[in-house]
Amino acid sequence: MSGIEIIAADAEEIEINKRELAARLKTDADFNSESVESCKQRLFDAIDYKCAYIKAEVDLSKENLCDFGFMKVKSVKLYKNLFGCREAFVMAMTTGIAVDRLLARLNMLSQAEHFITDGLSSAAIESFCDYACKKMSKGYICVNRFSPGYGDVSLETQKPLLARLNADRILGITLNSAYLMTPVKSITAIMGIKSKLV
Amino acid sequence: MKKITDLIKEKRVYFDGGTGTVLQGMGLPAGQPPELWNISEPEKIISLHNSYLDAGCNIIKTNTFGINRDKFSNYEELIRAGIDCAKKAVSGRTEKYVAFDMGPTGRLLEPLGDLSFEEAVSVFADNVRVAADCGVDLVLIETMNDSLETKAAVIAVKENSSLPVFVTNVYDAGGKLMTGASPSAMIAMLEGLHVDALGMNCSLGPDIMLNIIGEFEKYSSTPVIVNPNAGLPEVKDGRTVYNIGEDDFSDYMKQLAQRGALILGGCCGTTPEFIRKTIAKTRDLPFVYPEEKNITAVSSYTHSVIIGDDPILIGERINPTGKPKLKEALRSGDMSYILNEAVKQTDKGVHILDVNVGLPEIDETEMMIKAVSGIQAVTDAPLQIDTTNFRTLEAAMRIYNGKPLVNSVNGTEESMKNVLPIVQKYGGGLIALTIDESGIPDRAEDRAAIAEKIIARAAEYGIGKKDIIVDPLALTVSSNPESALVTLKAVRLIRQLGVKTSLGISNISFGLPKRELITSVFYANSLQSGLNCAIMNPFSEAMMNTYYAYRALNMLDKGCVDYINYASALQTNTDNQTSENEDLHTCIVKGLKEGAVKYAEILLENTQPLDVINSHIVPALNEIGTAFEQKKAYLPQLLMSAEAASAAFEEVKKKIPSEQTDSSKAIVLATVKGDIHDIGKNIVKVLMESYGFTVYDLGRDVPPEKIRDCALEHNCRLVGLSALMTTTVPAMAETIELLNKTDKSIKTLVGGAVLNQEYADMIGADFYGADAMDSVRYAESFYS
Repeated sequence: MSGIEIIAADAEEIEINKRELAARLKTDADFNSESVESCKQRLFDAIDYKCAYIKAEVDLSKENLCDFGFMKVKSVKLYKNLFGCREAFVMAMTTGIAVDRLLARLNMLSQAEHFITDGLSSAAIESFCDYACKKMSKGYICVNRFSPGYGDVSLETQKPLLARLNADRILGITLNSAYLMTPVKSITAIMGIKSKLV
Repeated sequence: MKKITDLIKEKRVYFDGGTGTVLQGMGLPAGQPPELWNISEPEKIISLHNSYLDAGCNIIKTNTFGINRDKFSNYEELIRAGIDCAKKAVSGRTEKYVAFDMGPTGRLLEPLGDLSFEEAVSVFADNVRVAADCGVDLVLIETMNDSLETKAAVIAVKENSSLPVFVTNVYDAGGKLMTGASPSAMIAMLEGLHVDALGMNCSLGPDIMLNIIGEFEKYSSTPVIVNPNAGLPEVKDGRTVYNIGEDDFSDYMKQLAQRGALILGGCCGTTPEFIRKTIAKTRDLPFVYPEEKNITAVSSYTHSVIIGDDPILIGERINPTGKPKLKEALRSGDMSYILNEAVKQTDKGVHILDVNVGLPEIDETEMMIKAVSGIQAVTDAPLQIDTTNFRTLEAAMRIYNGKPLVNSVNGTEESMKNVLPIVQKYGGGLIALTIDESGIPDRAEDRAAIAEKIIARAAEYGIGKKDIIVDPLALTVSSNPESALVTLKAVRLIRQLGVKTSLGISNISFGLPKRELITSVFYANSLQSGLNCAIMNPFSEAMMNTYYAYRALNMLDKGCVDYINYASALQTNTDNQTSENEDLHTCIVKGLKEGAVKYAEILLENTQPLDVINSHIVPALNEIGTAFEQKKAYLPQLLMSAEAASAAFEEVKKKIPSEQTDSSKAIVLATVKGDIHDIGKNIVKVLMESYGFTVYDLGRDVPPEKIRDCALEHNCRLVGLSALMTTTVPAMAETIELLNKTDKSIKTLVGGAVLNQEYADMIGADFYGADAMDSVRYAESFYS
């Protein structure tokens, strides 16, 4: 548990980003309907947002190698993203496993509601991620967050990252053999710290 | 030295406390697995153990929590070194025990994760064999946050050693495991598996555990372990500290001991001082071993269902007897039909679902495993495993997540000698049928005698009366006029034996008109005679009326709240019969499924089925489809409309004689090999079905050969393929090539996020569907 901090939130505390949702549902940003609202209420009953993060030192002394102490990531993109940072927030977060169960259930009952709920829950975890990043970075100037699986950072990076955050114990996040996370609506990310706000 | 299982019956026993916190104080770097020190720094591990033993604990945990073959290639060496350290520490001391510590695998089990149950058992079994070989006093399975993984670990210990098993799970502040189980659900399952002690550890401090201990007090007949953290973690100067000190911790532990916890210790953040003070404050408290609770309970992965005075409804719909659609689903392996039945029954309010998938022409064991695992992914109702095949029963009980009901054992020697050992091993409520080698006795007294015989025999296997539910068998009253009276008398006699009762209620009315009338009155009579469980049809309004009315009349429904809610819902359904502004067309366009079904039924009273399709359903679908194409409606609306149309279409199909059904419009759909994303494919499926296409849905990650075989088997000339990932487009190309080679007249339409017209042309597809509506238009033109 060394240095691991937790951010938790109730579903109602996090406003789902409308643009994010519209992109998932393939609608206009101002689209709403009774069916989306009822799916949202049911999803909110299932959501249990939780984030675990640490503030880690990052050594960028070797080109294209980001050394966090507990893991070394070879990547041009991440190196570029973190350039100039000495520390970074390393984080994992999830909506919780009840959302997976809800999606599995809807997949059997209604493809329409499954599609809507899947879109809602993807937008929800992104919105929670924004919320958590804002909260943890208070007092700092940070670069944009960067997630494993993006660019040249392989999904395998999630293994040491989740282990460091004790994510199976604290968040219930586990990896399958293809390094995909369960619960499915989970995010891992690294957010470089440029400087402290004066 | 006394066995630990004897010691815990005589006195309060103490575990040690945290490992990581103490080792970090000795210099263990953050993020480094402490288990590595078993080999590199054994003297420090021995020193850790000694410090706890000196504090007065009885049991030390080996430093092996995170070790398994998936995480450490040298797992065996690490385990042996860890046990060696612990044994050196207890050597020469009296009444000190070594617990082999086993934590979770770090992976989630199927169906939500990808670790199979047997693989999980095998991972734990490898650890247990090493520990048993080294010689330890017990196994502690700890920090488990999933009930099925806990079960896998317990089975691994039982099958590979004769060591005592203690289990502690991690509950959150709401009193649930991360995957949803309550303490009562875990107690039901773990007592069924005959663990020696059970309880909670980690995650919470002892203060919050005080809110949860009540459920253990109420339900557990097994000694309760409490190993809390030193409160909640806080980060100070980059280090984690806990918010409860030794004095407060030990005060709370005293309260937990007074609430029945018999085995006390600590977890994260606790040190030898926490344990020393806890011992000082609790060792002289009166020792009271938990009394036998005699609760009849079954459980799922979330909750337990207590079988007692409040009547229990067991849904009977997943049983192929007399259900041609279910038979067809079982033969074709259509799990969605079965899972739908499961969800619909639980939505109606059943407490337990009966699952019978026995058909002569299928592999019952394979299907039962699929059904149990699949149903547990979509509903949390406990299941009643219903089979006469002993192999099937064992396979299902093994992978079942919780403590199931078993349907059934009977009074024949063959049944008892096969079923009872399985129930003894895995734990379950047991339905006992009053039938033996001579058949079903005519007299109630003789049925009770068979029940007594089964009860006595079960006792030899350690299965108590609390886990036996006798079914005295309701035979149809049309051919056995005395049947109802005899069965009711048998229910009364059997209740006097101290066991619970169950009946397959619907049998009573077989062969009679308006069966519901007979069945529901018989149900009321049975309840009055003391019946506990009814295997019944929850879609029968008369049965549900009886259930709610009985509970209201017998003080089982405080303030008649459940009855009023039920009656209000019935009233709402009646009030909402029709509306002037609605018809089938508007219901489909608006995506109102229930309305579409209702208006389809009304139209079908005076309209030919094909006219309902051509003049109402298809025009409505075209309207929303065109709006979608013109970007005046969006995909969620299109899907809701398609589902409403499909539901109306199902109503229409019921009125069309099967020989007139047009099955020529068909399509095979699949997400290609290597791709597990199926949302896009499922959207196309819904739309295709709403337009009356027969869809052969092969699911996701489908090999080319399977797609070809399906097209050939059904003589289907249209195949739809979906892929989301660029890495799986080659699998799509491979599938198209195989189909072209097999039969050039088979046409392929492709879609998915990574595809475009250029890609589709490159891989030789006949049509690229930019969206689901596009695909439907092509399929329509293909068959026109």
